[in-house]
Amino acid sequence: WDDDDLVEVKIVDDTDDLDPETERAAWKLRELKRVKREREAIETAEKEREELERRRNLSREEREAEDKEFLELQKEEREGKGKMG
Amino acid sequence: MTTHAADARRFFDSRGYTGLQIHNQNPVHLLEKPTRDRIITSYYWQEQCFAINEATLCDRAAALTFIGGTYGQQKPSPFLCLTMKLLQLMPGRDIVLEYLNQTEFKYLSALAAFYVRLTFDSKDVFQTLEPLLADYRKLRRRTRDGGYSLTYMDQFVDDLLTKDRVCGTSLWKLPQRTILEDLGQLETRESPLGEELDDIDNDDDDVVETRRRGSSTPNAHGNGVDCSESEG
Repeated sequence: WDDDDLVEVKIVDDTDDLDPETERAAWKLRELKRVKREREAIETAEKEREELERRRNLSREEREAEDKEFLELQKEEREGKGKMG
Repeated sequence: MTTHAADARRFFDSRGYTGLQIHNQNPVHLLEKPTRDRIITSYYWQEQCFAINEATLCDRAAALTFIGGTYGQQKPSPFLCLTMKLLQLMPGRDIVLEYLNQTEFKYLSALAAFYVRLTFDSKDVFQTLEPLLADYRKLRRRTRDGGYSLTYMDQFVDDLLTKDRVCGTSLWKLPQRTILEDLGQLETRESPLGEELDDIDNDDDDVVETRRRGSSTPNAHGNGVDCSESEG
């Protein structure tokens, strides 16, 4: 288990507090990213709920029309891809 | 107390296991079978993990120089070997928390964090590990190809809380934080940035406002709309 070069281990330096300012700034950035990720997750869930609510409030015809539109759009996209090939 | 046999195979045999359980199974089974097999045949396990207890394990953990799963030809890292030792010893909660919260040996804290993620209940995992998101000590991590990379305690803990696989181990499925919040088991997480974050939020609002003000001018010239369309 200790056949590895001890020199090799030192390639990555894990000494703390060499430059506390920078280290804290880097941590702050990571923390902000986490906060952002959490907020975005909440936002996405919220949007999904809204969309669900909206769909439920539509009448049957409206829903079907929307589905049809979506399916046609999908179909167009697929045809477009075929041509590219 | 756990008895130590030179050959640990009996303990790792799932048939007829009668000891204490964690998550309704033999605790060592929280690691994967191939990993377990590699660990018990590794020199580190046989030589350094034989007949150690909760106290002497600290010496081994303090001597760790990196975290990681398996590397090279799927050689298990000492970090994983010690994790398995912990699963075998099953130290009491107060001991684990002491491992976690001492500040002198960061690799011991990392080891305890990994153990907490594997063995504690979902609510306790969040409550115990989240304070460490404010801990930005550096950790050396061994990658699968045998190289080294730099990570941080908060990064490692964040991985433990959000990822399915960490250090070559499939972690049991942790429910999302939002679900536990909805169940009323957890409070909303307060970022350790605290007031700083509010300041930044306010700054952001300012930026957005100035942008809006800025973009209204080109709109008046009829350029703004064209720009946004070409971007899309």
